[in-house]
Amino acid sequence: MKPVFNYAAAALGLMGLGLTSCQPDIDDPKSSAGQADFTTYLAVGNSLTAGFSDNGLYLEGQQNSYPSILAQQFAKVGGGAFVQPLFPAANSNGSGYLSITGFSTSGTPTLGPVAPNAGVGIGADNSTPLLVKYTGTDNQNLGVPGIRVADVTTPGYGYNNPSGFNPYFERLLAGPSALFSYQQYVEERVTTLKPTFFTNWLGNNDVLGYATSGGTAPLTGVALFTTKYTAITDVLTAGGAKGLLATIPNVVNVPFFTTVPTANVIGLINNTPIPTALEPAIKAALGLPQSSPLPTGLRFGFYITTGTGAKRLATSSDLLLLTAQAAINVPSTNPLQPFPSGVGLEIPGAPAATAAQLAATSNALDSRFVLDAAEVTSVQNRTAELNTVITNVANQKGLALFDSNTFFRGVATNGLVINGVNNTAAFVSGNLFSLDGVHPTPRGYAVIANEMIKAINAKYGAAVPGVDATAYRGVRFPQ
Amino acid sequence: MTVKSLLLAGGAFLGGTSGALASGFQVYLPSQQSIGMGGVGVGLSMEQAAQFMNPGAMAMLRQNGVQVGASATFARSAFRSANGGEQRELQNTVVTPFNVYASFGPKEGKWRAGVSVYTPYGSQLKYADGWEGRFSLTEITLQSVYVQPTFSYAITDKLSIGAGLMILAYGSVNLQRDIALPSPYPEGHITLDGTTETAFGVNAGIFFKPSDKLSVGVSYRSKIDAKAKGGDVTVTGLPDPNTTITGALLAPRFVGNKFDATLPLPASVNIGLGIMPNDKLTIGLDVNWTQWSEYRALRFDFTKDGAPASVGDLTRTFSESKRNYEDALTFRLGGQYKVTDKLALRLGGAYDMTPVKDGYVTPETPDNDRIIGTAGIGYDITENLGVDASFMFQAILKRTQTEAQLLDNGTTDRVAGTYRTNISIPGIGVRYNF
Repeated sequence: MKPVFNYAAAALGLMGLGLTSCQPDIDDPKSSAGQADFTTYLAVGNSLTAGFSDNGLYLEGQQNSYPSILAQQFAKVGGGAFVQPLFPAANSNGSGYLSITGFSTSGTPTLGPVAPNAGVGIGADNSTPLLVKYTGTDNQNLGVPGIRVADVTTPGYGYNNPSGFNPYFERLLAGPSALFSYQQYVEERVTTLKPTFFTNWLGNNDVLGYATSGGTAPLTGVALFTTKYTAITDVLTAGGAKGLLATIPNVVNVPFFTTVPTANVIGLINNTPIPTALEPAIKAALGLPQSSPLPTGLRFGFYITTGTGAKRLATSSDLLLLTAQAAINVPSTNPLQPFPSGVGLEIPGAPAATAAQLAATSNALDSRFVLDAAEVTSVQNRTAELNTVITNVANQKGLALFDSNTFFRGVATNGLVINGVNNTAAFVSGNLFSLDGVHPTPRGYAVIANEMIKAINAKYGAAVPGVDATAYRGVRFPQ
Repeated sequence: MTVKSLLLAGGAFLGGTSGALASGFQVYLPSQQSIGMGGVGVGLSMEQAAQFMNPGAMAMLRQNGVQVGASATFARSAFRSANGGEQRELQNTVVTPFNVYASFGPKEGKWRAGVSVYTPYGSQLKYADGWEGRFSLTEITLQSVYVQPTFSYAITDKLSIGAGLMILAYGSVNLQRDIALPSPYPEGHITLDGTTETAFGVNAGIFFKPSDKLSVGVSYRSKIDAKAKGGDVTVTGLPDPNTTITGALLAPRFVGNKFDATLPLPASVNIGLGIMPNDKLTIGLDVNWTQWSEYRALRFDFTKDGAPASVGDLTRTFSESKRNYEDALTFRLGGQYKVTDKLALRLGGAYDMTPVKDGYVTPETPDNDRIIGTAGIGYDITENLGVDASFMFQAILKRTQTEAQLLDNGTTDRVAGTYRTNISIPGIGVRYNF
């Protein structure tokens, strides 16, 4: 028996060895800052940088801003504290925002406002509600909702005065800085904080304002944009800081422009039968005797007013704004206008003269609610031009670039599945875009932060870890 | 049907409603003797486990016998998300596959009959709370018991054939995953729990031993469709449909409470070679070829009161997850050395090629090629009674899949990241020959 015992002991020893050593490890992809230094991070930008969401700036959105998420990840590779101009807990509703109050039987969400916790007062212009001031002196998130690159050198842009001002900038300024332009404010922050790393995501509002106003607000010119964008980036790099620039996403990919599908509206209107009661008025309008039948093929058509003021039939290339939902098919208050808004008559294949006559009699949808095909082209072309400027500046200065335009085009086309959870660019159900149809949800911001981290890692040979975006919320549903 | 395919069967149920599923841990554990030798045995007629590895070899056994063995599998896995973050590990669990073989035949007769019971797959994986793949899988438990009556006949003293009826006598599965719910609700949870119907297959083989020093064998295990019908679907953590707007909105998406699933358990062809240079040394070389390409997708059909019903997705009443496995080969080499009449030492190794293509790796089967090393010891306490101890170590090589691969293959129901798994399997067996 002796040999058995010896061998058995050996075998048992072998087993023990195997059992204790079998937990495998995957080498930590050594987190590192690479050639970047994240000690002091400064974020420059607009509403996206501020954490704007659900058509408002409020505490939860600020806490989940992409700069906040970036800073939290930077902290794992040597980044220091990151201070944001947070609304105090007692004013956590900030500017107020939108929430879902319920769903219609067809599943369409109904939205309602969440008011600010307490009124702060109204600005000297008698129209701009003031926001709770930020009283700290160490702000590192310089995101100002609404700001365009065109605005960055405007003195008094945040000064409470009768001719209007930006309340989000106003709340950041105090004392001697009250008259600062945005660029002066950034200069002051750079001088004080001496940032080692920055992000600059300005430019969206230089095209977005045009788009969300249905083409009624101006687009920023390329020359002006180039000058001002370069200047403010120079301020950021003056102290040798490394950083990241981001392009402007093509705004027509966001739910604000895709949730009301033009083709569906056209189909609905085309397929609505003409009520008998309307026939006399139609015949009169067309100059037909009451005894004659309606022209063959006559049906309702969907008419829009273009940016040039022309009335014409809508096509699927025209984009309806989210706000158009409530503006289409509203009965006319004009006794001479028999059609509800957006509706007119159309005879497919009719001669041009007849078609023009029909268009003229239509109750075409106001230009504010539609980005017509020509305007879509304008905004896309300008977006491309401005993105070229941003890309060139990034390349000239050796900065990382987050091509958000390419990224969001991919999301709009393919959706984005993260860890088995489906996300899309759809309104409400897509998780990524908040209730204003333009600004991201916390999950959308987490996704943006991850994409920025990828760009930073690639540019600076860094290994900043990303976040699990599924841990951040999408649209908040009612309870 | 190979043990591997049985594992696959287990995996089938892993799907969850998103369809994510896997094959569980494949552990080819024919017997304690075979395990010690890297799992070889198709070309050998050493022991009662021949009825599993090659029924054709059973008729060449010279003694009636009963043998019983059991193993304990300790699987340890590590996962790191493609987005970085901490390493996720399994919560430790142990499963205990077992095997029972018995055969009887006239002393000098040409035929031999046997019966075997074995648990070719059985897996328990429980991922750490909050891990990145929780919407694919949080936990899986698989159990199976196979019974196989076998008959083998020696046509000559050098050539024998045999066949067994493979019966999937019992199979159970419990799959769980989290459900992403709209904020402000915390994540929900879904459990699929069911048992398989009895299913049949054939295990047949030919064994040829031209000399005392050489033997060869070929065996074939047929494909079996393993079916689970009327398994329970349990969803928890949904907001109350009667008192909350969101609950009412979600309720129509989670109607189904039963599931059906069918899994093709692929056929395998096994070829083995036995070399006996002297009385003391036995060397085996096996190749298993498994037709994994049968496994294209994992589908669950959901019902309520017999009518198709949604679970998770309003637009359909089923879930489907791509597998698109490839046929795979396993190479095994092992040997036994009889130190004395009573004592045998065994050593072996195997290289097991993964059937899972890049971009198709699921949390249930964090699979890749496996390198397997084994050792064993056998001791005859009396002429009739012997004991065997075995140890197998499997290293599933590190496997990384990227978001891009998932996107390219349309397999985004699983997670991007890096997996690595080690499995330790000690075991012990007793045999009694008469």
